Amino acid sequence: MKRWLLAVLLGAATLCTARADEPVQATARDDACLSLNNRILGPRSGDRPLPLLAGDPARGLHPACAVPWSTLSPANKPLAVVGCFRGSLLQVENDSACGRGTGPLWVNSRWVMTSAELVQQPQKRVAMCQQLETNAWAGTRDFNLDCQPRKKELSADSAPADSAAKTPAADSAPPANPGTTPPK
Amino acid sequence: MSGTAAKTSGKPPDVQSRIVRAALHSLLLASVALFFLNLNVLGTASVSKRFSQDLVYAWFGDEAWLYPRGAAAHPGGGSIPPRVVVVMIDERALALRGARWPAPVSFHAQFLAELEVLRPRGILLDFLLIDPAPQADTCDLLSVASRLRHDGIPLYLAVTKADDLAPMDGAGCRDAAGAALRASEVFTPVSVARQVDGSDFVGRRYPFEQRADDAAPGMGVASAAVRMYCDSQRAPAACVARLTADQTPDAGFELAWSPEGDPFNQRWSHTSCVENLSPLQAILNEPALPRETPCPPVATLFAGALLSPEEDPALGTNNEDLFKLADRAFLLVGGNFRGSGDLITTPLHTLLPGVYYHAVALENLLAFDGQPKVRKEFRTPKLAFYGYDLLVLWLLAAIFQWRQRWVQRLRPGEQSPFQLSDAARGWLAPLIARWPTPAWIVATAVLLLLLATFKRLQLLAVALTIAALITIELRVAPSTEIRNRSRGLLLYVIAMAASLAVIVVAIWVGYRWLRLPPGDWLGYFSFVAFGFFVAHTAILEFGRRVDELNVARRGSGGAQ
Repeated sequence: MKRWLLAVLLGAATLCTARADEPVQATARDDACLSLNNRILGPRSGDRPLPLLAGDPARGLHPACAVPWSTLSPANKPLAVVGCFRGSLLQVENDSACGRGTGPLWVNSRWVMTSAELVQQPQKRVAMCQQLETNAWAGTRDFNLDCQPRKKELSADSAPADSAAKTPAADSAPPANPGTTPPK
Repeated sequence: MSGTAAKTSGKPPDVQSRIVRAALHSLLLASVALFFLNLNVLGTASVSKRFSQDLVYAWFGDEAWLYPRGAAAHPGGGSIPPRVVVVMIDERALALRGARWPAPVSFHAQFLAELEVLRPRGILLDFLLIDPAPQADTCDLLSVASRLRHDGIPLYLAVTKADDLAPMDGAGCRDAAGAALRASEVFTPVSVARQVDGSDFVGRRYPFEQRADDAAPGMGVASAAVRMYCDSQRAPAACVARLTADQTPDAGFELAWSPEGDPFNQRWSHTSCVENLSPLQAILNEPALPRETPCPPVATLFAGALLSPEEDPALGTNNEDLFKLADRAFLLVGGNFRGSGDLITTPLHTLLPGVYYHAVALENLLAFDGQPKVRKEFRTPKLAFYGYDLLVLWLLAAIFQWRQRWVQRLRPGEQSPFQLSDAARGWLAPLIARWPTPAWIVATAVLLLLLATFKRLQLLAVALTIAALITIELRVAPSTEIRNRSRGLLLYVIAMAASLAVIVVAIWVGYRWLRLPPGDWLGYFSFVAFGFFVAHTAILEFGRRVDELNVARRGSGGAQ
């Protein structure tokens, strides 16, 4: 009986607070939009072209083109996120990937990896850096990671205790160049 | 009827004439059974056929021999049919792009561009884009559709009639090279009309095409699943022509439904997608026939998950699971909006958004290699398919008659081995007679009232009654009686096994080769298991009487 009453009260509360013509809020976690210095690090769609949008969310977005990552970032550099919409659309400075006159383009965060996402998902860190034979720690410099060893002869338990201190710096670092030894 | 010569010569009829006579009597009995099987007063036959179909798919819809869908039905590899995936747009997905219901054309253009990344085999847009839209939005949609077509991804668009796409051509859109973009060149118009059975409004049938009553077969707009399936074949036009040929405007093929949900849907479904109901529970009167589950049988990707990784972060670091699901799959994009009314009543999965109707139809066409099951009333020549039923019933009737003849030899005058013996009746009657008549009748009525009210008691009561009667028979019946009865029961079991063998073969031929749905299967079983023939053997007695009169008439030289 109590459950029944609770269900009725919840239903009534829902009806009183929600209007039928109101669109559902996108998501409570707009992390990609709230993150500072967020950058697009690379594609998450393999070799598939990235669909890009042009326009303004307030006035209307429209599909611009679909291009490979190399067109969006010719030097394979991380791209700064200059705009964000509903936590899932990221605006980049590139305004020429789809030709002239499109303005800054938008890309769905489903298809790209962002630095903010990596920070929020520490379990993925191990896949994003590696230990070089020089015994120095290296990784993409825009990552702010606690690198863990992935070589077969090294187990996770044998990671150096001060690995965090050896992690490359994040924000002001130059673009990614895997394989080079970062400054200690 | 036959054997007249033997009678007139004073000799007993030979074996051949006896066989012919038995065969004719069986045919008479079978035709009566066929008539009652299809007696559709107040739609009773339709209801029983639907129930038979739902029952079969509810219990065996996941078996590869019945519904060979997906990779599980092709364990040896071979040509695994492409996957069918529903992509569901809802309010949440629209909000991610700042849109709201009804989904604007600009949203569809954006969303199709996102679907292009998945490299599907084809895309159905189950939305009627018949409302006026800004020219720029229409041109965006046509541009994306053109790009998809260029990439070898056909885009199917729902229409209500053939000229629904004309207003889009009026927008005067052009591609980057300045060439005109025509809707008819970038979209494939398909019908999304539905068929439901009367009285229960369940979508068990799928139309081949949508056409006017006076139009010739094949001249209408092909249904979405039919067109999508045929376009994946080597000769699409011939495939459509084959499926729509000789069909009436209201014809359709039957949809096999799997009772289990697709495992992919477990990531968002609040209920289990795996059915684990035991047959024992069903026997104990659980509400299990047909079973229902809200987990859809087709893999479903929510548009919100595609538009925002935060909606579903578990699709792989590099979207591996997403690409595994959708790569070279048929994507059917539909809507699930509060109050839109785009819902279909299904036999096993309660109410589902309408796009599942087309998805299941496409899965049926893929599972049955373009040879879906079609009811007898939509087949030509219709008489031949009903004749097949008669043939099956004829064999069953022959087995029944054979058993009856043996039972008569063992216990003349008795029809069923399950009847109480005279000794058992003689023992029971005085026992009950100790009670005043009003008392035992009222007690019996109360007992039956309780059994009718509390269904869980029914099975227990039946078991106790059978055990009690067997005990009484064993205690009071003479040993000869028990021995004859045991033989009668053995004959019954043998006849039942033979009948089941006939039914299995009939089902296999009818389902596999004649493409008949399981609407008659329950009827076959009920004839055999519940002694339907017993109720109609009076026609046999009448036939024998007529036969004797005919023989006597011929023996007297035709005199009256």
